[in-house]
Amino acid sequence: MAEKACRHCLRVLEGLNCPICGTSDLSEEWSGLVIILDPARSEIAKKLGVDIPDKFALKVR
Amino acid sequence: MSEDSKIFIIKTTANQEKSVSEALARVSKKELLDIRAILSPEELKGYVLVEAPEAGLVDMAIQAIPHARAIIKGSSNIAEIEHFLKPKPVVTGIKEGSIIEVTSGPFKGERARVKRVDEGREEITVELFDAVVPIPITIRGDTVRVLKKEKED
Repeated sequence: MAEKACRHCLRVLEGLNCPICGTSDLSEEWSGLVIILDPARSEIAKKLGVDIPDKFALKVR
Repeated sequence: MSEDSKIFIIKTTANQEKSVSEALARVSKKELLDIRAILSPEELKGYVLVEAPEAGLVDMAIQAIPHARAIIKGSSNIAEIEHFLKPKPVVTGIKEGSIIEVTSGPFKGERARVKRVDEGREEITVELFDAVVPIPITIRGDTVRVLKKEKED
């Protein structure tokens, strides 16, 4: 059940495919965690260009 | 309003930053608190950054969360934490010609000269000093320590 991060959109997820990109290009080696809860009002979400509430990695190898 | 977003800092038990972030996200969703984002950079051990309009609701949210110890007085702004959002590649500072020591893997403890740096993949290609024949090997950028920067000539 190790969480993986999508190499394209940096989303942290469980499973074999990224639900947004549809890709299976995932990595188990990621670090730094950002949880966006309110993308409309979050400054952090704006800086990261995120518009869907989700969990993201800061860095994926 | 987005103008009143502030950054508050929560002190956590070391190595529990991710679990605190996730618990905080869960509590915030359940209690419908106005917590906008939670950030736990790898380089900031023992702390979690929270984006919210006021300290009170962050303080309220962490009461029930194990490993979240306290909220630090005062607040920060986005500009001050912006650098956490763009982590530097680990190979920054390693240049071609630098002398490095391998810190893990089969070549642990060996010294080598850097031949090539691949910033995108965070890998470096080195030649070991003690090898009889110079064979280039490619290793991860985070498993080395720089001993000497490249020569200025």
